[in-house]
Amino acid sequence: MLIVAPSQAADPGAAVRARLTGFAGFLRANGYGVGGGDAARVLETAEHVGILDPQILRWSLKALLCGRGDEWRRFDALFDAYFLPPNKRAFAEHRTTTAGVAEAAGGLRDGNEGPPAAAAVEGTVGDDDGIAARHGASREESLASTDFRDLDHADDARDIEALMRRFARRLRHLRLRREARFHHGRRLDLQGTIRQSVGSGGTPFRLAWKDRRRVRPRLVLLLDVSRSMSQYSFFYLRLARALCGELADVHCFIFHTRITGVSEALRDPEPWRSQERLHLLAAGWAGGTRIGECLRDFNRDHGPRLVHSRTGVIIVSDGYDTGEPALLADALATLNRRARRLVWLNPLLRRPGFTPESRGMQAALPHLDLLAPGADLASIAHILPQIIDTLR
Amino acid sequence: MSASAQRMNEVAALQAQLEGAGYVAERPLAAALLLMLDLGRPLLLEGDAGVGKTEVAKALATVRQAKLIRLQCYEGLDVHAAMYEWNYQRQLLAIKLLEHDAREVSRKEEDIFSERYLLKRPLLEAISCDEPPVLLIDEVDRADEAFEAYLLELLSDFQMSIPELGTVRAVSRPLVVITSNGTRELSDALRRRCLYQYIDYPAFEKELAIVEIKAPAAAGQLARQLVEFVQSVRRMDLQKKPGIAETLDWTAALLRLGISTIDDDGAERILETLSALIKTRDDRAGFTREVVARIAAAC
Repeated sequence: MLIVAPSQAADPGAAVRARLTGFAGFLRANGYGVGGGDAARVLETAEHVGILDPQILRWSLKALLCGRGDEWRRFDALFDAYFLPPNKRAFAEHRTTTAGVAEAAGGLRDGNEGPPAAAAVEGTVGDDDGIAARHGASREESLASTDFRDLDHADDARDIEALMRRFARRLRHLRLRREARFHHGRRLDLQGTIRQSVGSGGTPFRLAWKDRRRVRPRLVLLLDVSRSMSQYSFFYLRLARALCGELADVHCFIFHTRITGVSEALRDPEPWRSQERLHLLAAGWAGGTRIGECLRDFNRDHGPRLVHSRTGVIIVSDGYDTGEPALLADALATLNRRARRLVWLNPLLRRPGFTPESRGMQAALPHLDLLAPGADLASIAHILPQIIDTLR
Repeated sequence: MSASAQRMNEVAALQAQLEGAGYVAERPLAAALLLMLDLGRPLLLEGDAGVGKTEVAKALATVRQAKLIRLQCYEGLDVHAAMYEWNYQRQLLAIKLLEHDAREVSRKEEDIFSERYLLKRPLLEAISCDEPPVLLIDEVDRADEAFEAYLLELLSDFQMSIPELGTVRAVSRPLVVITSNGTRELSDALRRRCLYQYIDYPAFEKELAIVEIKAPAAAGQLARQLVEFVQSVRRMDLQKKPGIAETLDWTAALLRLGISTIDDDGAERILETLSALIKTRDDRAGFTREVVARIAAAC
């Protein structure tokens, strides 16, 4: 680990070097994407800037080790925690307690009430189609049309996983086929034509065309993970993870009393870290749903960046809103103006005797492009290609 | 003098130089720029639109007295637009002209695929400069993933292979500044290869310093008031918050109209100039006379 030439070893002592290299590991443990080579780079940086002035070391290491905005904002606290002795102990204690809470929360899941986010990521590594293929097509069909709440998590988890991956992969094929059709354009591309003609000795057999670049379609999923949705959110998070894995431009948010982006956590290739991150995001799980406020926050914080004229926004919720309906209507109207397609999937819609009469749903209806049932995979399989279709 | 103290002096010196070039930089940014020179790594700048990311590269070029080469990324940017392209028309013309030339074919070919017929795009230009230039790759998040992969290759080796010519190695290593607005998530590989700096909207003192440098005519009372006003506007719930460029535009607009103080009496005239600051219809609708008067009174 210590890659400092002997001649330089005298000036920062071995203990100091170990302390510095340990910082990279400390950040990695805190969810930073710090790689193996970074420990050596920390030493190199320290050689350049010296270690006596904490400020200059802080600024330099911050530039070196951060990679994104949230890492940037958390860095100062972590730097203090690691390099300023009294804080270090307090921070370590804090960490163990949060980990304990997370574990306790994970244990609750058996009672069907715990954070579905944690459940969504376990055992997601075995994703080959072989598992589903073993059971045959009929088993898959029956799974596809079973209401999510009737599925036993533990038994069917792997099958569902495989099924969702196949489903997401079908979506990808759909996209590729359609893109391939745009091969002819409006205007002749002279440069391109000549470039292509080099192979045929300067005779332009194949013409190259220019077409207007189109914005690629994008999907934004807003999942209600409040208590009343707990039977469904488990599956929707799995579906979101499968979609994130297969399609390039999918963004996922969960909301209950507030809204949080989970695309990063869902995409995390390391299951343990992914789970840890979702644990953190699931903080403050209990309590009612404030859909209106959450959507307003989404519009404010993420709307301008994420939602463009080729974006499909899919809200998955049962519509039981403890907030103000006017706020919900307002937020949906804003969202609808910005997005190409605004779809609400309500898992309760197919239940016998259910009509969308809750105040939340009533306020929402005028602003939706589509309200559809979403209790099983078959209905999602029916609706998603349609949504993607409208985006092109 | 210890390494740290010496470094602190260097940071302060660079900060002063940047200010001389018209860019007000905080010390962490100056420290990151120095580290970038030491480690030879690119610097990735993130932050909202209008916080002065692009200006960093321009100021750096001025301070280093280096050439600034800018590559503006956009969706669909490809290798030909970013690295190099053969000048096909000229080549075809040359082939016609060389038809009656007595030289060997291989000689002719060498001639046709020589640098004379090569159109240098920004990336090739950047690695073939004698003096290290500043290469600004602007809004890299607008280009697609495939281009990002090309970029990674270039940034790791600083060489480029052109099939007809062979490998072009960097004569001098350019100082690379990459900016991103976050319209797309960048790959971890790119992030790991770069030093990182998040640039936030400026605090009051910094913005005041910027206004005083860029618009000396407004210095004093007016500058303090208008910066206070902009800072209050930024705290509001807006779709598009005004950046530094907007502040400067607005300053120019106020000066043009001969407004020398901001108070609630002048709300009407401030309203007339707000189009320099507020850029969407929904946001504009929120700025009634009363709102402007209230903010102005607090300044």
